[in-house]
Amino acid sequence: MRISRNPRRAVAAGAVLAVLLPLSACGDGDDGGGSTDASGKVEGEITFQTWNLKANFKSYFEGVVDGFEKKYPGTKVRWIDQPGEGYADKISADAAAGTLPDVVNVSPDLVAPLAKAGLALDLDKSASKYEKEYLPGAWKSHQIPGMDGTYAFPWYLNTGPLFYNKRLFKDAGLDENKPPTTYDELFDDALELADKSDGKVATLANVPTIEDFGRYGVPLMNKEGTGFTFNDAKGVELLAKYKKLYDAKALDGQALTATPESTGKKFLTEAVAMNPGSALDLEKFKKDAPRLYKNIGITPQISSTGKDNMYVMGVMVNTKTKQTPAAVAFAHYVTDAQRQMEFAKKVAIFPSTEGSLDDPYFTEQDGKDETRVRVAAAKSIKTAVNYTPVLFSEQMKVELRNSVAKALQGKQSPKEALDNAVKNCDRLLQQS
Amino acid sequence: MKSTTASQAAPTDLATTGTARVRKEPRPDGRGPRRGIRRQLPTSPWLFAAPGLAIVGIFILYPFLSTLNNAFTDKRTLIEGDYVGFANFQELWHDEMFWIGLRNSTLYVLGVVPALVILPLLLAMLVQKHIPGITFFRSAFYTPVVASIVVVGLIWVWMLDERGLVNALLEAVGVGKAGFLSDQWLLLLSAMTVTVWKGLGYYMIIYLAALANVPRELHEAAAVDGAGAVRRFFSVTVPAVRSTMVLVAALSSVAAFKVFSEVYLMAGPTGGPAGEDTTLVMLVQRVGTGLTGRVGYASAISVVVFVVTVALMLLVLRADRKEDA
Repeated sequence: MRISRNPRRAVAAGAVLAVLLPLSACGDGDDGGGSTDASGKVEGEITFQTWNLKANFKSYFEGVVDGFEKKYPGTKVRWIDQPGEGYADKISADAAAGTLPDVVNVSPDLVAPLAKAGLALDLDKSASKYEKEYLPGAWKSHQIPGMDGTYAFPWYLNTGPLFYNKRLFKDAGLDENKPPTTYDELFDDALELADKSDGKVATLANVPTIEDFGRYGVPLMNKEGTGFTFNDAKGVELLAKYKKLYDAKALDGQALTATPESTGKKFLTEAVAMNPGSALDLEKFKKDAPRLYKNIGITPQISSTGKDNMYVMGVMVNTKTKQTPAAVAFAHYVTDAQRQMEFAKKVAIFPSTEGSLDDPYFTEQDGKDETRVRVAAAKSIKTAVNYTPVLFSEQMKVELRNSVAKALQGKQSPKEALDNAVKNCDRLLQQS
Repeated sequence: MKSTTASQAAPTDLATTGTARVRKEPRPDGRGPRRGIRRQLPTSPWLFAAPGLAIVGIFILYPFLSTLNNAFTDKRTLIEGDYVGFANFQELWHDEMFWIGLRNSTLYVLGVVPALVILPLLLAMLVQKHIPGITFFRSAFYTPVVASIVVVGLIWVWMLDERGLVNALLEAVGVGKAGFLSDQWLLLLSAMTVTVWKGLGYYMIIYLAALANVPRELHEAAAVDGAGAVRRFFSVTVPAVRSTMVLVAALSSVAAFKVFSEVYLMAGPTGGPAGEDTTLVMLVQRVGTGLTGRVGYASAISVVVFVVTVALMLLVLRADRKEDA
């Protein structure tokens, strides 16, 4: 009996080892990492990961990589591009497995958890000499409340106007050449438009997001970054106004489950009268919805603070890189004034480098709609704010959205809904 | 001669007992039992099974054990975390979204499983006949099964949209628009419809195979005895395919309880208005992914999903055994 069992045990043990040994390599990915000192010789091979840019800008990035490799002989950059869908999941999987690329395209909300986990290089320590090249607001956009340091180079910025459908405004008896410029005007026009169209035309297609609260002048977070504050009186006031819009069908019936893509489609099909967008959208309107394009109206974002909302992109350096000087040099190279300006001329984005927005490309009109939008946006971006707190995670966005939906459906009062949202977001903040 | 007989007896013994037991035969020189070659006999099956076992171990067993382990920790995506005992399960008890998810997943089982047990059977009986052109219909009914769920979801979203085909038809006949994608219950019902529509062909094929084994003589005898079509269905067809119905019920109930794609595609990432259409698996995805994902908590929900699906299987199989008894 013993004779036959021993080999079984040996085989079983072998099988277990065969299973576990490869897994033991998964670990936490802590392979010692590299140095935080970026002052050494720029050399070696690094990986650079972008976010859904290969499809449209392959030649631009290949040119950037070639330029860097020529400038720093002995370096090699491997460019990886990941799809936009599930980008955060891809980064988290890489970070957990210890395979995060050396240089990574991130947004501030992605930088925050990576910095907390010690995976984003503090540029104030390693690359502070570059700080003066960027707009002060942009440099600060990758600072994390409760932590010292700046954790990514600012890259491109984006903002945009509010588009409106002149025909729908006119049909409702509104002056199509006088779009709303304040929140009060927006809500009044929206109610009138819904009333005149018997609820068939909504003005807005999305529920208020955290940046809407910010633009309305609601304080979003305390200064220490330890708790959210968007349930104050002003926040409740905004939500109560949206509730009124929802009840009057001035807010689209499917707004509670809408996504930016679906709201864009609603605007394209002229089911809603207003939608935020960027200069990029004009091309889309022209191509996909010529009837809408003929009636398109362009007006600045509505803001009670006098500052528009902007979206910020960044480029961080992985602390675990073995080629810190090369990784920092490349992250700076991609985001320097020359490269950002070249990129801005290929796509409707705005550079975050000091002085770039004074280029005639961003200040002079040529009579085209695209230029008009670009010049107006470039002007507003100098004072614009990224209203989304860097610590506001995807889970928190869902919490806010669900609470807003409860208030709009009348299941909770606006105050109760926002109190719950803040309570849940604070809990998530403590757990992060 | 004696030793030859003895060595011949060993394989016979093995064959009759059906085990890998090796007999210890004394060697002719009296040195005790030979261990060399025979000892390796049981090894070879394991070696053959090793690649399969490795795959099962890496992709099924390890993730399962890891999830079980994580359920008792406060692990985050980027933070290993500590053991917290049953804290995650205690938190689940007080988590409103968990109960919403459990409610929706259970409703999904109750709504989808009876339809997927009965409708494909009726469909299979319809296409069972050997008449010209029937292959076309069999293929047509099977088409949704092979279609990508994302494509299917998008098509249904377009159809059920406020300005979609279905609402246009409803409006044309004077019923008025319905909030298929905005009303909490209609949304869940819409997602169930998609699941049933997509699953019909798959289970129809299973039933077709079962129906092919029902002896024609039984139907003929019943017909001779004066049984009509309905009577023949309940007295002959249903008893004959009862085991298949149990199999379909088991498979579809587990799939329904773990539903994700249909609801996610139709209700959006928030899980419907105020998250009211969230299912348990959607909740796992929402809380456990991303850079700030709560892996420990999501694992605890996964453990609940596992326990419930196992219970569902046992329940269905137990019901089957009772019927047999």
